Amino acid sequence: MRRPAALSGIAFALIAAAPLPPYTPAYEPTGVDERGMWMQADEAERQMRDSPFVLRDPALNAYVRGILCRTVGQDRCQSTRLYIQRLPIFNATMYPNGMMTVWSGLLLRVRNEAELGAVLGHEFGHFEQRHSLEGFKRARGLGDLLTWTALLSPTLYSSMATSAIGGFYSFSRGQETEADLLGLAYLAQSPYPAASAAPVWERLMAEADATAAGRKRKVKAHRYSAGFFASHPTELTRATYLRDAAAKANDPGYPAAAAYRAALAPFIGDFLTDQIKLNDFGGTDYLLGQLAADGWTPDLLYARAELYRQRGNPRDLVSAAQFYQQAIDGGFAGAEAQRGLGLSLLRSQQLDAGKEALRRYLDATPAAPDAAMIGALVGQ
Amino acid sequence: MVRIMGAMIALLMTALPVQAGNSLIAPGAKILVAKSTLAVTPASEWNKLGARPGRNSESWTLDGDGLNEITFYGGIPDGRTLFREVDKRNRPLPKVSGTMLITDIPALLESSYRIALNTPLMSIESVEPARFAGAAGVRFTYSYTRPDSEVRRLGEARAAMIGGLLYMTTYEAPALYYFARDLTAFRQIADSAAL
Repeated sequence: MRRPAALSGIAFALIAAAPLPPYTPAYEPTGVDERGMWMQADEAERQMRDSPFVLRDPALNAYVRGILCRTVGQDRCQSTRLYIQRLPIFNATMYPNGMMTVWSGLLLRVRNEAELGAVLGHEFGHFEQRHSLEGFKRARGLGDLLTWTALLSPTLYSSMATSAIGGFYSFSRGQETEADLLGLAYLAQSPYPAASAAPVWERLMAEADATAAGRKRKVKAHRYSAGFFASHPTELTRATYLRDAAAKANDPGYPAAAAYRAALAPFIGDFLTDQIKLNDFGGTDYLLGQLAADGWTPDLLYARAELYRQRGNPRDLVSAAQFYQQAIDGGFAGAEAQRGLGLSLLRSQQLDAGKEALRRYLDATPAAPDAAMIGALVGQ
Repeated sequence: MVRIMGAMIALLMTALPVQAGNSLIAPGAKILVAKSTLAVTPASEWNKLGARPGRNSESWTLDGDGLNEITFYGGIPDGRTLFREVDKRNRPLPKVSGTMLITDIPALLESSYRIALNTPLMSIESVEPARFAGAAGVRFTYSYTRPDSEVRRLGEARAAMIGGLLYMTTYEAPALYYFARDLTAFRQIADSAAL
């Protein structure tokens, strides 16, 4: 029997409060569909293992894996292989064979271990409930139904195709909701507080608004009702039911923000660089503001300066020069801050001060890959 | 039935010119590229691809654009992207600015590639002053990997801002074997560039 396409509000509360489903270690796929999906997932994992996009730092991998294990429990997490991918987008994926991918854009956007645990728990929920198998069967069933209807009764086809396709997407949204609430149940039983799940979606909405505003697009009102073809519930819906379920769970916990910042510190500079080069001024400035909630560190100031210099309006160049200077005054370690300061000043027609900063850059890094070019700019 | 066959043949014929847009570039002759006044004189034979990356650009190859590709950008004006947008609403490309410094050109290419190809594995390796098309410009090298092929490619480019317009030529090929093989031929073409 298939689960209902969308879960009712009563069902939400039941799932959030219910004990975790029984777990089977070393599960082997059964049936032709599931074995076929696992075979494809195994092939995808073989490619993932050799991918140049995977971040292989042992300390980072162990840390993120530790968060997953603390969230879903040691026995469950042993059945997953985790790959951290350098992709500057908020996302994580779960394959039916237990391969989980965590994208660097997600690591950049969560503020503590508990928020990351909430997202990883959601992905693990898809795995534990074998959602991809059900989704595959449902899609095939839909294809079969529509093909036969089109052959046997074209008039009936035109009237039922829309509702059948709509039912498929609604089913997908139901799975997402189920995984969200199962993820919340993991959090509630972990050392992390269940209340950490909702703020992730709230900040994503705010970032999307900032991106739209930065691109001079109309900022759309966030809605509860998902679009007809939406595979996921809206962020507003997710934030709302997760907040309600967390209030019911009412579990204390420790979000571990300081530990998260310390563990990610060696990587944040690279992740920020990837983000800044996406030409998303509004969203990135919002994100930097969120990361600087406890104060602007020299790294964050440098990133903000780069962002403003890249947009390059005359007023941006003035702001960029200020941010570079603040980063330098705050003890920013890299000579590239002097480079950015110099180039910002040059573009603002402050030639002498600009060249002075570029000379400091060259003195500090005479073997820089662009030393010849910068040298030509300052007339050396 | 005959009518259906006729319609199919007509459909195939209308589809053909896209393929037939590729043409041979003869060696030794001066040729205008990228629908602009930028002229180059290749010493060897190349194939010009019918598909252009953007309005003011054009691509050449020897063995196919995945194995070796030269692209010419012929005077991109202020406010325009380097090449055609891939997803203007969600992933808009950065635009050329008339007040860009020469050092901003490699950064523009890097950001455009990262967005258009969906890859963070794109980096500028070296930047140095060089003349291009008779003007003071820049020569830079880079490397990138597309997520769909995972082949590491190397690139070399020359560029200059001339009269507020961006003129550039790039050469890209897989790091393994191909890049080194045709680099000299590219440099000869880049050296021959003139307005």
